Amino acid sequence: MTTIVALKCADGVVLASDRRATKGGMIGSKGVKKIYPIDARKAVAIAGQLSDANYLINLVKAEAKLIEFDRGFPLTVKEVAKMLSNMLYSGMRSYAPYITEMLVAGVDETGSQVFEADISGAVTEEDYTSSGSGSPMAYGVLEATYRAGLSTNEGAEIAARAVKSAMERDPGSGNGVQVLKITKNGSELKDIRGVPQ
Amino acid sequence: MMSPRDGEYGRGYVMYTPDGRLLQVEYASEAVKYGSPVVAIRGNDFAVMVARTKETDPLLDSVEKIHMIDENIGAAGAGFTGDIHLLIDQARVETQRHRLVFEDPMDVKSVVNHLGKFMYEFTRYGGVRPLGAALIMVGSDLVGKHLYTLDPRGLILSGKAMAIGRNSEDATEVLRAEYKPDLTIKGAIELAMKALSKAEESNSPVEVGIAYGTTFKKMSLEEANKFADDPR
Repeated sequence: MTTIVALKCADGVVLASDRRATKGGMIGSKGVKKIYPIDARKAVAIAGQLSDANYLINLVKAEAKLIEFDRGFPLTVKEVAKMLSNMLYSGMRSYAPYITEMLVAGVDETGSQVFEADISGAVTEEDYTSSGSGSPMAYGVLEATYRAGLSTNEGAEIAARAVKSAMERDPGSGNGVQVLKITKNGSELKDIRGVPQ
Repeated sequence: MMSPRDGEYGRGYVMYTPDGRLLQVEYASEAVKYGSPVVAIRGNDFAVMVARTKETDPLLDSVEKIHMIDENIGAAGAGFTGDIHLLIDQARVETQRHRLVFEDPMDVKSVVNHLGKFMYEFTRYGGVRPLGAALIMVGSDLVGKHLYTLDPRGLILSGKAMAIGRNSEDATEVLRAEYKPDLTIKGAIELAMKALSKAEESNSPVEVGIAYGTTFKKMSLEEANKFADDPR
């Protein structure tokens, strides 16, 4: 279930998600958090098993902080994505996979970066990407409206529209939208509760 | 050097003397002073190191002094050759391990930190000998150009211009007097060579290591001067 999207913009990145958690056919929670900051300029959006995703994110946050203390500068977005994918891959290879898909986005010395890591540990670099049961609908909006060189403000509009569209047609997605904008100067979270118009 | 009282603390285990010294570690530092010197300078967008290959029998090939660690990092040591090679090997393995995990080259500080911990452990245990080697490491990464030295205590120093090995105090004196923050690659090689010559009179071929852009390159003095005219 879930709809999450991540976009690469000229001055940063944007991540957006719905707020619904499902338990079988039932809505388990109407206000679940699906976007998690790793540090001031990086965040991960998650789809799939919430417990697995939370476990991996806690691990990566701790590991990232230790490496930053040690070497004096934060991990790159690619390094965060690779670290997650290494754990996902070892899970798959030991017949105990982490049932989750993650969008890793942020700003580092190399600029704005978006990566996607799936259950098998495969990582791909993307300009825009979506995951979860609502992703086919979200992709419809992204394919029609995304272009290179968007500002984060324009990107935030498109990301929110993609998630809202998915919420209209996907029963696994709903109950509000969260949008996180990240630029090199910091991040800003926008929270739209309830069913947005 | 050694007072009669030092005797029982000076051999075997790494152990404090009553006045708080670790003689085994001090002896290791002495060994470094016999090694042939290495001089390195960090500029705004580059870092260079110079060293002479070891003077050996004319029948033998020269022994390399500057070692590649990874595409972006190089190192040169002073002290026991075997100990230097152990450190070089550690650094090479660690940088490749980093590539396996992250698919990107390792940053210089993390490599130095790893070696520093590795060397430090030899000062803490009985039954081992502290490594008789110091290292100069030069490299390039995402956050800039770097110059570090490492000694047998595991002490890590970062700086603009540094020297290790025989007569390194003399070389440092030259560096202290003539270092300028706006040195070009050519100027840095010239100054480093002047400092090196102050420490050691020799006609052995010179090796130069240059960290520039995203890579570290090893070359002869002639090649280095050509590179300095047109860095790429």
